[in-house]
Amino acid sequence: MVTESEEGRRDFLLLATSAVGAAGVAGAAWPFIKSWSPSSDVLSQATTEVDISSLAEGQMITVPWQGKPVFVVHRTVTQIELARKDDTKSLPDPAKDADRVKRPEFLVLLALCPHLGCVPQPIGTGNYGGFLCPCHGSHYDTSGRIRQGPSPRNLQVPYYEFKDEKTLVIGKATV
Amino acid sequence: MSKIMEWVDARLPVTALLKSQATEYPTPKNLNYWWNFGSLALFVLIIMIASGLFLAMHYKADANQSFDVVEHIMRDVHFGWLLRYLHANGASFFFVVVYIHILRGMYYGSYRKPREILWWFGVTLFLIMMGTAFMGYVLPWGQMSYWGAAVITNLMSAIPLIGEDLVVWIWGGFAVGDPTLNRFFALHFLLPLVIFGLAILHLWALHAVHSNNPVGIDLDEEKDCIPFHPYYTIKDLYGMGVFLIVFCAVVFFVPNLFLEPDNYIPANPMQTPAHIVPEWYFLPFYAILRSIDFLGPFSKLAGVVAMIGAIAILFILPFLDRSPVRCFRYRPLSRQLFWIFVVDCFLLGWVGYNPADAVTLDGALPLTVVGRTGTAIYFGYFVLLWVITAFDIEKHSPVPKSI
Amino acid sequence: MNIMTTRGRDERAGQTMRLGARVKPAGVWVVVLGLLAVLLPRGGVASEAMHLPKQNWPFVGVFGQFDNAALKRGVQVTVQVCMACHSLKYIKFDRLRQFGFTEQEVKAFAESQGRTKKDAMLSGMDPVLAKDSFGVVPPDLSLITKARKGYEDYVFGILTGYASESDVALARQVMADGHAADGEVREVAATLHLDPNHPEKIAETLKRIADGGNFNKYFPGHFLAMPQPLMDGAVVYADGTENSKVQMARDVVTFLAWAAEPTQTERKALGFNVLLYLVVFTLMLYALKRRIWARVH
Repeated sequence: MVTESEEGRRDFLLLATSAVGAAGVAGAAWPFIKSWSPSSDVLSQATTEVDISSLAEGQMITVPWQGKPVFVVHRTVTQIELARKDDTKSLPDPAKDADRVKRPEFLVLLALCPHLGCVPQPIGTGNYGGFLCPCHGSHYDTSGRIRQGPSPRNLQVPYYEFKDEKTLVIGKATV
Repeated sequence: MSKIMEWVDARLPVTALLKSQATEYPTPKNLNYWWNFGSLALFVLIIMIASGLFLAMHYKADANQSFDVVEHIMRDVHFGWLLRYLHANGASFFFVVVYIHILRGMYYGSYRKPREILWWFGVTLFLIMMGTAFMGYVLPWGQMSYWGAAVITNLMSAIPLIGEDLVVWIWGGFAVGDPTLNRFFALHFLLPLVIFGLAILHLWALHAVHSNNPVGIDLDEEKDCIPFHPYYTIKDLYGMGVFLIVFCAVVFFVPNLFLEPDNYIPANPMQTPAHIVPEWYFLPFYAILRSIDFLGPFSKLAGVVAMIGAIAILFILPFLDRSPVRCFRYRPLSRQLFWIFVVDCFLLGWVGYNPADAVTLDGALPLTVVGRTGTAIYFGYFVLLWVITAFDIEKHSPVPKSI
Repeated sequence: MNIMTTRGRDERAGQTMRLGARVKPAGVWVVVLGLLAVLLPRGGVASEAMHLPKQNWPFVGVFGQFDNAALKRGVQVTVQVCMACHSLKYIKFDRLRQFGFTEQEVKAFAESQGRTKKDAMLSGMDPVLAKDSFGVVPPDLSLITKARKGYEDYVFGILTGYASESDVALARQVMADGHAADGEVREVAATLHLDPNHPEKIAETLKRIADGGNFNKYFPGHFLAMPQPLMDGAVVYADGTENSKVQMARDVVTFLAWAAEPTQTERKALGFNVLLYLVVFTLMLYALKRRIWARVH
């Protein structure tokens, strides 16, 4: 015979065991879920180091970062002035040139047109001295801001920092 | 909630099925802990399918990449090491559980009338499981993977007339190689699903005739049976807990216990390791294969036949055992034969582990002699079981009328 | 009441019967397992190499932990000695920073092999060139402690098991007259741990040592392509630890054991939590099981 108080204790035991079991199942699921996150060899590709010591004024290079193209432009004085002059104009996606660069002479842009993801052509090809996206004719200025065409936004500036005088690191280290 | 279930039940009788086949399914109340290993096998199968599925999401079947990819999983993928060690050790534990499950069936006469079809599904499951394990072992593409695959596939060449062509067809080349690896991966992915399907048939066959029990007599459903839930749900869960403690202790603390060091060397078709052994769960059968070495040109074929026969003979076991009593508890001769058989399986495993040309007693006793004796005992079990039961040699002790 | 007694008697009868069942198989077990123990097989491919002495590795076992200082020293030996020929393709130089090396130190390690810090730890030596000079491509060391029977003890044995200079001198001296006399064979056999029952084999071994073969008492077959890699003082440790051959071998094996499975620390730590959870949960299940089954018993 099982007494009532024993039944009560069992109910508590049943509840506690169920709760602990449910927690265990959830815990066991975690490694499976987590295994989909970018693996450490992928994460180690999160940053790209660029040697900018040999990038002369007026030159531009395209570097791969996280599998996407990034423009690194060593701007001329004229290009910088052009960009700053347009700060006050009415722009489709207003932004100051100073907020888009860390050092005025270096412009770093994610080279994917916000319109539909094409890679724009190099600096100097567009109507405002900047970049032209060949797919649908979006024109970006010397700060990478959209000036004309279907693109709704400016070319994106990825996170970057200058590690030292000659090394630019694009992206944030995750490990 | 009940409204929803009513709606469903009107269209598909889920509640009735659960009631009759799960919660209220009548189960003998005297089942001992050896009966836990059936549900445990299903549990391990689920662990294997889950870990295998997630491993497959990272794995590449390519002779040039597979070894590196496994190391990528071990080193770079989050918890990849856990997935792989769960899967690799899970295979070993699956066999431990299934071997105990089979031996339990043999001891308590669970293969006897009316459970023959249930038993046949089980033996088929075991066969497919062996094939799946063999192909899975090839995937890391280490030295043991490669040479294990080479040796086992070469067995097919023993088949007269078509053997040689058959092996080349299986390889998809002139040796084990990239095509072999690819097709083995595809099959290794498919077969567990076949196993799962067969396991459902196995369960169906079980539920059609209900469980055997340690006394081995037919039970009175009213008096001797209890509902499956909560009695056996909690007992099975408790068994899984104990299993997981042992399993996880191996996975987390000695994960390479069952793995051969040679399989951490990339496959090299130009060089065979000094001593190749199959995984431990194949060792008794491997020993039987090698023990037939006295028939000259027919040895190879005979060895293969003996090895396949060692499993195939399980199919006719229900017809070999003619005793009026199921359970070996009440059958003194059968019981002794059974324990000799169990010890013999370990002996054969030990013979299979050692090099074929090894000797014991300082050369007085070549291992092949031990192997032949072990093989004779293995098959002798089935023959003697038939002899002592078919000719009424065994006098069984009194069997209880009820539990 | 009546039912209870009947069942009790039945159970007792069952127990006696089961006990009887157990005695006999137990006897069979003892006999067979005893035989197995006595008849341990010899011969076959069982090598002529000496039995590997067991070393005490602090990182092995359930509670094992890596000593960071030993790891750092091991890195130094690996890069300055082993990587002259061997690679560790699954480890990137950058990864070494986790032991406390600065970026400059890591860069220097990488540059010593003509690599950058983001590269895998590949040897500066060209594999084709290596094959030309040694006859084999030096094996990758990333998994070496997991890929040999004897594991860490094996690698340590190989690194410390070479014939010493005096052993080589002895072999040369014995073989100076072109053959080895019986007395000499016995003496040399003891020094090199060879089986004294096969004098012809010993003579052949001595000849190969005298001819410059790389004799190692722990290597199956005794002669290997790799010349002795570690000598006393081969590396000057940054932390000033004594740079004896044995010390360097211990340190390098420590690092190689880490490199074989960098996730092992994480594995053991997680294992403790998992097992703790499982023991508690299983005890709860057991209590619940007993309580539920109390209704039947």
